[in-house]
Order: sequence, then structure tokens, then C-alpha cells
Amino acid sequence: MITFPLRFRELDSNRLLFSNEAGRSFIGSRSFLDRYVHDSLCESDKAFLSENGLAIDDADKLGALGYLTTLAARLPVQKQIDYLILVPTLRCNLSCSYCQVSRASENAKGFDWSDDTTHKAISFLKNLPISSHIKIEFQGGEPLLRTDILDKVMREVSKERPDSSFVICSNLSNLGPEQIKLFQEYNVVLSTSLDGPAETHKHNRTKNEGATRRFLDNLDRFRDLFDGERISALPTIDLTDPPSTESLLDSYDALGITSIYLRPVNHQGFARKRGLGLDDALSSWLDYYRKAVDEIIHRNSQRSKNLLEEYSLTLAIKRILRPGIDNNVDLRNPAPLGLDYLVIDYDGKIYPTDEARMLGRIGRIDLSLGRIGGELNYERIRDLNSQSFNNIDPDCQHCVYQPYCGSDVVDDLSRYGRIDIPRHDTYFCRRQTDLFDLATSLLCSKDLHVLHSLCAWLNLPELPDQIIPVHNDTA
Amino acid sequence: MIPLRIRIDIEGPHRGKRVIKLVSDLAKEVLTSPSLTSGNCAELVATFPSERVFKWGDHYIRIKGNAEDEIVGDVCLFNFEKGYADRLIRGNSKHNTLVVTEQCDQLCIMCSQPPKKTHHDQFHELYHACLLADSGKIIGISGGEPTLYKEELFSLIKDVNKQRPDLQFHILTNAQHFSVDDLEYLKSFRGNVLWAVPLYAAHPVIHDTIVAKAGAYERLLASLSLLVQAGAQVELRTVVMQQNISELPDIAKVIKTHLPFIQHWAIMQLENIGFARNRWSKTFFDHSIDFSGIAAAAAYTLASGIETRFFNFPLCTIPPAWRPYAEQTISDWKQRFDTPCLNCSVQEQCGGFFEWHPSARSYEAWGEI
Ligand code: SF4
Ligand code: SF4
Repeated sequence: MITFPLRFRELDSNRLLFSNEAGRSFIGSRSFLDRYVHDSLCESDKAFLSENGLAIDDADKLGALGYLTTLAARLPVQKQIDYLILVPTLRCNLSCSYCQVSRASENAKGFDWSDDTTHKAISFLKNLPISSHIKIEFQGGEPLLRTDILDKVMREVSKERPDSSFVICSNLSNLGPEQIKLFQEYNVVLSTSLDGPAETHKHNRTKNEGATRRFLDNLDRFRDLFDGERISALPTIDLTDPPSTESLLDSYDALGITSIYLRPVNHQGFARKRGLGLDDALSSWLDYYRKAVDEIIHRNSQRSKNLLEEYSLTLAIKRILRPGIDNNVDLRNPAPLGLDYLVIDYDGKIYPTDEARMLGRIGRIDLSLGRIGGELNYERIRDLNSQSFNNIDPDCQHCVYQPYCGSDVVDDLSRYGRIDIPRHDTYFCRRQTDLFDLATSLLCSKDLHVLHSLCAWLNLPELPDQIIPVHNDTA
Repeated sequence: MIPLRIRIDIEGPHRGKRVIKLVSDLAKEVLTSPSLTSGNCAELVATFPSERVFKWGDHYIRIKGNAEDEIVGDVCLFNFEKGYADRLIRGNSKHNTLVVTEQCDQLCIMCSQPPKKTHHDQFHELYHACLLADSGKIIGISGGEPTLYKEELFSLIKDVNKQRPDLQFHILTNAQHFSVDDLEYLKSFRGNVLWAVPLYAAHPVIHDTIVAKAGAYERLLASLSLLVQAGAQVELRTVVMQQNISELPDIAKVIKTHLPFIQHWAIMQLENIGFARNRWSKTFFDHSIDFSGIAAAAAYTLASGIETRFFNFPLCTIPPAWRPYAEQTISDWKQRFDTPCLNCSVQEQCGGFFEWHPSARSYEAWGEI
């Protein structure tokens, strides 16, 4: 019998989470661990391991192939570029306190795509090697300041690649006929920011009553126009003055938005200059996050539909249970850079991620990969990707969460200026560890309220007896 | 019930069999599908209440039967001497199955089409029928056991794929006959073939008893190994019976550990025909009384990200939360709705019953929703 090597992490004094490289996991005891490390597994251990695909008999060919299939699904092959973030303008009509991209003011000159850039970007999008549709996200600045460019890009791309989809990330401070027309004409979704109750939103973003009211009115109008569809919103939490988790969720409940992606103020951009110290920021974020999740579970326990979810938690849980959930660029492994999605900045420069663009803007490090119309810098792409996966990182290799986790080279560069630091000292790792600890504890929970929420998050009619198998060894 | 065999009449001496597609406008059809010609198409020229007349070359073919039946678009195998035609690939249907042989090496206790001893080879006709199929059709192939004639079957798929890469095959097989030598074929069929393979238990003896063949389970697993190595698409099928209801949780585990590559797992309800008809009281498991075992197994695979579906389960017989997982799988021509169904709000999404499913032997709990 071959037992696939196990990693483990203590959950409490006697229970440990075990997993292998393919992400097959179980809960076991300390005495099991002893037997495992001393190579003295008993019969019931062996039976449990083999029943759960954690060990196979030498002759079990299909078992080996099944294991390899699962392992392979955890290591998705590179796709072609099919997702792009476009920044047609860096100008913005708001000036949020933590602006993530170092905006330019609304009337500034030289912060928009030139005709030449627009032209080249469109031909780039049309000529991408991938044969089918693509996904495009417009960011800014405030992209709706340039409806003309958005219209042109969407028209040309839809012509060439019919099923393409678009997202416009807008602060929604201006929703006139021109803007509305875009949403009526194309397969496009609005993604906006809503930081919580009006007071918080005003404090962080809109600054005055008038602008706040305009935003909220526009939000209502948009929901009326499109029947509550085609809209998503996400909050940015400023930890120096966060809204209460209750009021935050109230504001989303009021809009009928059930999926909430909680993010703290990004470390990048101007935000960097005014944040808390790393340790404080991290621990207050984790506290806030857990409180919000508790509140979500509590609210869900009182309803049978429109259950709320926190997007990154659902993603983490799905990645634990299901190999092959890799469609989110924020959490995947490998996390290739410059290979399957790109950012085209206002000046035509190309970056591997939105964060990388911000790092360039604040002069931290130039991670640009070239300029639209020219060649991509493949040497830099190769360098970035030499560590854009966690499988051989000396710490991740031993981490029970490795198959579910990802890596974030750009974040490491941003915070530490290098990538070869002990993983557990990084912000990314500490946040991920906490997220997966939380996910695991929920998956092992017997609390009916938790199970009720899990059902909804996993979109299941009911849950299996044990979501993570438990090895009840009495030996 | 939709008739699959229709009576025909043709003037003049015609012998043998011909594959012919019934069309409404030949000139138009020929423009869009180059494989159609006046030799293999018959064009509708007149419609009467009890017959339709098609022109085939210089000849007129009369097709008897209700003019409401939608036969235009069908690819039929005409048997001129016997005066009938078999509707091989119906234009208006998603359920088309070509039976390539009626022989089988297993003898499943609930077999809906008990095997026969003799084999009538029709591969040639089936090949021509496929070439005439509407664009993008999914063509079912079943038996008996199709892979008993593996060489002919593989040639059929290969030759059709070459001419008609737009067609998909859905092949039902007991997977007892694949060998390492088939790997190249299996690889080349990756994009066009879904293999539907039944697994009835996680324990060899139980599976072997159900299919009445010693060693079948081991052979099946070996074949599944080949299929995954070839990157083939596999639909795993489990018919639920009294004999294997308690096996479901273990099958679910085996799927997660050994078969995570399958496209989906189909948990199927029994068809009251063939062997199952006589053995009904000893085989039929009424899930409307106790759905818990099925639900637990399905929850296990779904939680692990493995698509799981119920085939042949009337919607009213399963708990509401599970209804979205029931597929409308009963083929249109053998689908039946009973009196309560007429007032049912979900009839459109429901598969209903098999034509031959007698009400007396029906589910304990069912009726309009
Ligand atoms: S980053 Fe941290 S949590 Fe993620 S795999 Fe590596 S060690 Fe584990
Ligand atoms: S009453 Fe008939 S149509 Fe309605 S769910 Fe039951 S079987 Fe289906």
C-alpha cells in the first residue's frame, strides 16, 4: 500500500487536519499522527486511508489514475489570454480617501487613452490568439467619463467575438442617458463600490451630502432600469474607521445583493501612505472579517432564501472541496502573471495585474510588460512566473492548505520588495492561513446554522454526513 | 407513443433497403448540407389526413399514418419489400438511438431490452444515416452491447467523424471489451463521443450478480482505466434497485477516489420492461418512500464537485430541493403522463413515466405539484 504523503495542521488539542498534494483531506487524531510518523499504521488506519483515496494498493491502477486526475485538476494548465482589464482614463470625478490607483483629477490632461492607443488596443483585442469570446473589465479612474471609448471597444469586440462579456467598474456618480445606453446595448454588468451605510460611503468616497445622494439615487435608478440584475457591488473597508458589520450588511441587504466580497483598503496606491502598521492592520482585518462572517451566518439562519455569502470565503471552501476551481485570479495556483490576463493602462502600458499597475504608478517597482502595439517583454513574464505557484515554496510545500491556496508575487514585491521571504511572515500567507482555518472550522462544524449557510454557499440541497471525512480511530 | 416504424408504399419494383432523409424543400437543404442529394432525400409533395407523399428521384413514396406526426427531417431506413421504414434519426427529437446489435455478454437482472442470440449487421446503413443527420445532432448508440462489434463500431465513428465532425455520439456500453490496443481510437474520439458506462455497486460480487457475469466488475474497472488514460468523456450510470440501494454511499466514495474524471454520475430509476417487468417486486426500489440514501450519496459527490443527476425520476417523487437535479431523460417516444400529470404545474420540466410503467405499480408518493 502506498500512502500519499500527508501534511497536517492542528485544529485543537486532539484534532488535526491532514491533506495531501491532491487536496484530499481528513480530520485525524494526535495518536494517528504518531502512528503515521512512526510508520506503524494499524489496520483501521489503513482501511480509512484507502477508502478515502489517501492510500492505494499497489495493484489498484484505477485508484492511481483517479488520484492523478485529482492532482492534475489542482494544477490547471495555462490558458490563453481571455481576460483584460482596460483603463481608458485615469481621471476621476471623485477623490476617495484611499484611492487605490492614484487617480488624476477630472479635468487633467494626458490621462486618457489617445486615439492611437484606442485603435491599437482594439486591434490587440480582436487579434488575440484565443478563438472564442473574452471578458473585459473597464476600470479607471472613472471609465464612464469616456463612454465614447467604451462604446467603441465593446462594439468592435462584440462584432469579432460575439459572446464576449464586459464589466464596467464605476463609482456611479454620473448615470446619464449616454451611460445608460451602454448598459442597454451591450452584454455588460456594472460593478460599483458601496462601502456600507451612507455615512461611511460619504466619509470614504463621496465626501458631501449631494454627491452621496446622487450616488444612492443612481444606484436605485440602475436597479429599477435593470430589475436588480446586472449589478454587483463591493465594499472597501477602511480599518481606521470601519462601519459596524451590521450596518455594512444592512446596506447590502437593502439592495438585495447577496454576494459580498470583503476587502480591506488595498495596500497599494495612495492607500499605502496612510495605512496602519502591518501587524495591526492584519489582526484588525481578521477580527473584522470573522465578525462579518458570523453576522452573515446569523442572518442566514433566519431566512430560507436570499442567503448572504462572503465571496472569498465561499471561494476558499469550494477550493478545499472541489479540484479545478481556478477561475478567480485572486486565488489560484499556479497564479500565472502576464499569461492569461493583462491590464492596459491609460498610457498604453501593459501590466500583469491591476496591483502591478499601481506599483508602477507610485514608483515602487516597474512591472510593466510593454506597450500596446509593441512586443510583450517575455523575459520579464518568465521571471515573474518563476515563482508564481506555491508547490515548491519551502513553506507552502509543508502546508496543509497548499493545494487550496495560491501565491501573490506582486503583493510580496509590493510589501517587501522581494519574494524570497519565509512564507509565514508574509501578509498574503497570514491572511490565507486565517481564511482557511476559518473555512475548515466551518466545514467541521455541527452547528445547524453553519450547516444551513454552507448548503447555500455550496449550492447543495443538503450536505453529506461529513464534509471532511473524520477518522475516528480508537486504536 | 410516437411510432418509430412507419408504413410505406412505393409504386414499381424496389428491392432491398435504402437510407433516405425526408425533407420539405430539397433545393434548400442541398444548399446547406452538401451530403444531401436527390438520391438520398425524398421531398414532401402532398399532405393528406392519413398519408403524405414524398418524391424520391422519379418515384413517389406514400407514407401512411397521422399527418400530425412530425416526420419531415427524419432519416429513415426504408425496407421496400416489407413496406415499412424505421425512423433512425428523427429530426425533431433529442432522443435518437441506433441499435447496432442485440447481442450482449451480460444478462443484467433488470435489462430493459433482453439480448438476442442473432446479430443483423446494419453498420453500413447506420453510417449513411449518420451522414444525413441534421447538423450538431447527438446520436445515441446502444444495444445489446455495441462493443461486441468493436471493429465495426470504431470504423463507424471514425468514418462519420471524418465527414461530419459536428455530430456527437452517446454510446451505451458495458465496457467489458476495451483493450490497450484501443487507446489510439479512444483518444481520437475524445471530442465526439460520450461513453455511458454502468456501475451498479462498489463491491465486485454485488455488481457481478446484477450483471450476471463473473469478473465483470474487474473488467469494468480495467476499461475505465483505459478510458481515463485516453481522456475519454464518461457518463457513469447507476440504476437504483433493491439489490444496490445500500451500495450508493460506497459508489459515491469510489467515484470520488477512483473516477473523479467522469463527466457526470447518472443515478437512474428502473424501466418497467424487459426482465425488470417480471422481477419488478424484487427489483424496484421506490425512492418516493425513502429518498435518504440517494440524497446522501448525491450530496457526497456534489459536494466534491462531481456533477450528479437523476434520470427517469418523476419530479413529484423527489423532495423539492432535489428536483433541479432531475433530468428529463425518458425518450419522447416512450414517455407517458398519467391523469394527475395533466394538472401538474411542472409537467413541462418533468420526464414523466415510461410508457409501459403501469399505474398500479407506480410510486407510493406521486401526483400533481
Ligand atoms: S501561502 Fe501560507 S497558507 Fe498558503 S500554501 Fe503557502 S504556507 Fe500555506
Ligand atoms: S404529476 Fe406527472 S408531470 Fe407532475 S411531477 Fe408527477 S409525474 Fe411529473
